[in-house]
Amino acid sequence: MANYRSVFDIIGPVMVGPSSSHTAGAVAIGNAARLIFQKTPKKVIVHYYESFAKTHRGHGTDFAIAGGLLGMAPDDERIPKAPEMVAKAGIKLRFVEEEGPSPINHPNTAIIDLSDGEKQITVGGCSIGGGTIEIRLIELQGCKMNLTGPLPMVLYQSNEKNNPLVSQLNELLDQEAGLQKLQKWPVANGELYEFDIEKYLAPETLASLQEKFKGIIYLK
Amino acid sequence: MFDSVKEIVDTANKTGKAISELIIEDEIKTSGLSRAEIWKKMQFNLQTMQKAVKRGESGKGVMSSTGLTGGEAVKVAKYRQTHKTLSGDTMMGAVQAAMATNEVNAALGIICATPTAGSSGTLPGVIASLEKRLNLDEDALVRFLFTAGGFGLVIANHAGIAGATGGCQAEVGSASAMGAAAAVEAAGGTPQQCAEALSIAISNLLGLVCDPIAGLVEVPCVKRNAIGAANALVSADLALAGCVSVIPADECIMALDKVGKSMPAALRETGIGGLAGTPTGQAIKAKIFGKDA
Repeated sequence: MANYRSVFDIIGPVMVGPSSSHTAGAVAIGNAARLIFQKTPKKVIVHYYESFAKTHRGHGTDFAIAGGLLGMAPDDERIPKAPEMVAKAGIKLRFVEEEGPSPINHPNTAIIDLSDGEKQITVGGCSIGGGTIEIRLIELQGCKMNLTGPLPMVLYQSNEKNNPLVSQLNELLDQEAGLQKLQKWPVANGELYEFDIEKYLAPETLASLQEKFKGIIYLK
Repeated sequence: MFDSVKEIVDTANKTGKAISELIIEDEIKTSGLSRAEIWKKMQFNLQTMQKAVKRGESGKGVMSSTGLTGGEAVKVAKYRQTHKTLSGDTMMGAVQAAMATNEVNAALGIICATPTAGSSGTLPGVIASLEKRLNLDEDALVRFLFTAGGFGLVIANHAGIAGATGGCQAEVGSASAMGAAAAVEAAGGTPQQCAEALSIAISNLLGLVCDPIAGLVEVPCVKRNAIGAANALVSADLALAGCVSVIPADECIMALDKVGKSMPAALRETGIGGLAGTPTGQAIKAKIFGKDA
């Protein structure tokens, strides 16, 4: 399946400089981590690998990830000030330059640990160029999930096994956006599903899915 | 979605539709958005590019916080007014707009990544010169971007567009190829001539390394975009003149991918090799980030 699906992956995004991989892509990884965590974290540790570890300072990757954690878009002019805003929001944010190869096999890798005292997750994202990202890893409740990577992707956590809602969701996603692949993982109190879809969800479709399937996560 | 340049050319020949139209129709299917919404989005991208060009070439221009880049698009503008340029005014107009954009990017200004921020000046460079040379209106420039983006998607999916994986040939090289192909369509060339221009443009920049000084998107990025825009115009002219690429477009893209994969990491956006590794490059890095960086 193609990594790049939309002409706006190539002509775009409109963004604050200087690097689409290291700035706009980092904003997208920060945003994905925020969406997957589903609430405001208290502590965030960002582990950089390879090119990210070597050049994050020159490329503004730190403030870009901070901006993403606050839900900013890549063209938000507040992005260079995002680390201060994160600190003001009471989030402890730390960056670590890791030695050695990326655990998710890409030179532009950030592995982000998020926690708030009760909940703790890890999200591994890589920036594949032009501001486009892949989410290749999620760890929660002791379960390590190696996701396919390319977006758009829908995540849904079910708290019971053989939940009929899952097959409904499966059918709806296939109809609306072409289901490419489905993976599931056992988590402490249920199962987590990854739906890789071919097309983007129209805003109204997403709204109706969010209404019906509580806690659904859409990454694009 | 189109999987190859050949598929784009064949479909355009078979349907008689412009390539830009094929890409718009494809985007409607993929995005769930209407034609009007998609058009508006591309128009906004075009206007963002034009604003960045204007910002970089007006007054004293912009300077980056490190002082490494900035103010040179303005120098080019003045030179064009006061001198007989060696490569001609259309060419230097492209160069000026390309550099203006990347100077704004280096100053953390707002730009449109095409396909990346590091290569964001190349297409605006081509656009600025075509607009004047061919008297293109806004609709034609928006169509230019759809065509460029359509070819860019094929390159991105088969070779990649990140300096960290493929070197600068994947960034400025891709942008230049997209610009060359779209310029041919804007000038009234055939779909096959678009493919020839794309092939020629890629061939000319094959092997270009990504070696940013201090890891910053400044040197040599700004001037590489000048060359990316110029290469796009030369390649488009060659194709329009009837020159052909011996190697077909999709194989040129394959070569781009293979060359990128065989490049050592020091030359893939790590700020270690190439110009970044020179004594001056290293000294600048130490000055900006300290000796232990």
